[in-house]
Amino acid sequence: MNIPDWVQPVAEYVFRTGLVNTLKISALALVGSTVIGIVLGTLLTIRFLPGQALIRLYIEVWRGLPILVTIFMIFFLLPSLSQQLRVDDPLIAAAIGLTLWGSAQVAEATRGAVASIPREQHEASAALGFGWIGRHVHVILPQAVRRLLPPIVGLLVNIIQNTTIAQVIGAPELLESSERQVERLTFEGQEHAVEIYGAVMVLFFLISFPLTRLAAYLERRLV
Amino acid sequence: MTTVLALQWDWSFFTENADELLAGMRRTLEASAIGIAGALVIGLVLGAARAHRIPVVSQLAGIYVEAIRNTPILVQIFMLYFALPQIGIRLDAFIVAWLAVMIWGGAFNTENFRAGFEAVPVRYREAGLALGFSRMATFLNVTLPIGGRISLPSSINTYISIVKNTSLMYVIAYPEFTTTALQINALTLQTTETFAALAVGYLIVVWTMSVLIRLVEARLALPKDTR
Repeated sequence: MNIPDWVQPVAEYVFRTGLVNTLKISALALVGSTVIGIVLGTLLTIRFLPGQALIRLYIEVWRGLPILVTIFMIFFLLPSLSQQLRVDDPLIAAAIGLTLWGSAQVAEATRGAVASIPREQHEASAALGFGWIGRHVHVILPQAVRRLLPPIVGLLVNIIQNTTIAQVIGAPELLESSERQVERLTFEGQEHAVEIYGAVMVLFFLISFPLTRLAAYLERRLV
Repeated sequence: MTTVLALQWDWSFFTENADELLAGMRRTLEASAIGIAGALVIGLVLGAARAHRIPVVSQLAGIYVEAIRNTPILVQIFMLYFALPQIGIRLDAFIVAWLAVMIWGGAFNTENFRAGFEAVPVRYREAGLALGFSRMATFLNVTLPIGGRISLPSSINTYISIVKNTSLMYVIAYPEFTTTALQINALTLQTTETFAALAVGYLIVVWTMSVLIRLVEARLALPKDTR
C-alpha cells in the first residue's frame, strides 16, 4: 500500500503541534479542575459556612454556561475589563476556561463523595484530636477519593474532547492544527478534509475509548 | 502597579440589540428543539434495542454510541459541514445545527434509556408476558412507563447539553445566540454588555431546565415499593 505524499507533512504537524498542545491543555485543565474542585466541594459540606452561596453560584454559573462562551470570556472579556487581566496565550485561556467548567463538575462530585462518608468517621477523627483540616486531609478525603476517581476519569475524557473548543480562539490543538493543514492543502488544490478530520476522530477515539472503559471499570470496582 | 477596571456599562446596548439577540436565542431554541425531539426518538428506539439485546440493531447501536461519545462534537460538526462537501454532500448551516446535536444527543440518550430500561426488574417483564401481552405491548405498558421515568433526569441533562452545544455552531457561522451576540460585539465593541447578555441568556434557559429536572423527578418519582 502506498501512502500518498500529502500525508506525511500533515501527520507530522498534527502530531507535533496539535496532539502536544491538546495534551498540554488537558493536563493543565485536569490538574486545575481537580484541585479547585476538591477544595470547593469539601467547603460545601460544612454546615453554616458564610460565603457558601458564592461557591454554589460559581458551580451553577460555570456548569450552566457553554464552554465556548466561557473560553471567549477569558480571551476577549478579561482584556476588555483590564489590560492586566489579558491572557495572551490561547492555550492558557482555553485551559482556564476548561478549568472553570471542570472544577464546577469536580466540586459537585466531591460534595457528594464527602457527604457519603459516614458521620462516625468525622466524629471518630475529631475524638482523636484532629482539627477540621487534619480530619479532612487524613481521614475523610482519602476515603472520598475512591468515590471520586470514576467521575474524574470521566471528566478527563470530557476535557480532552472539549479542548477542541480552543479552536475558536486559534489555539493550535488537534482540531485547529488539522484545520490549518486542510486549508493549506485546499490552497494547493487538493481536498482531503474527509480523510484528515476522519483521522482526527479516530485519534480522539483511540484516546477516549480506553479511558471511558477505565471509568466504567472503576465505577464497578470502587463504588 | 494599579489595576484599573475599565468597566463601561451602557444599558442602551440591550434595548438597541434586543430584537437581534432574541432572534438569535430563537434560533438556538429552534435547533435545540429539533435536536431534542430527534434525540428522544433515537434514544427510545435504540435504548430499547440495546436493553432487549435485539440482534444486529443492538450491536450497530453500540458502535454508534461509542463512536459519538468518544469523539468531540466539534470535530463531528467540522466533518458534517466542512468535510462532507468533498464527497458531494452539502448541508446548510441550519441543518448541520440541529443534525449535529441530534446525532450527539441521540447517542447519549440511547445510553440513558438503556440504563433506565435495564433497571426495570426482569420479573415485571415476565409478568407482562405471562399475562399474554405481546413483547411490544409489554414494552409499551410495563418497561417504558417504569424505565422511562428512571431515565428522565439523565435524559433532561442530555437536553441541557444539547442547548449548550448549539453554541458550537459559531464555527459554521449559523446565527444562533452566541454567533449573533459576537457579531453584535464586533460592531459595537461593547464586550462587557455582550457577554452579560450571553451569560444571562444561557443561564436562564439552562437553570430553567435544571429546575424542570427537579420538578419532574419529584412528580414522576416511582412510588417507593415499585423499586
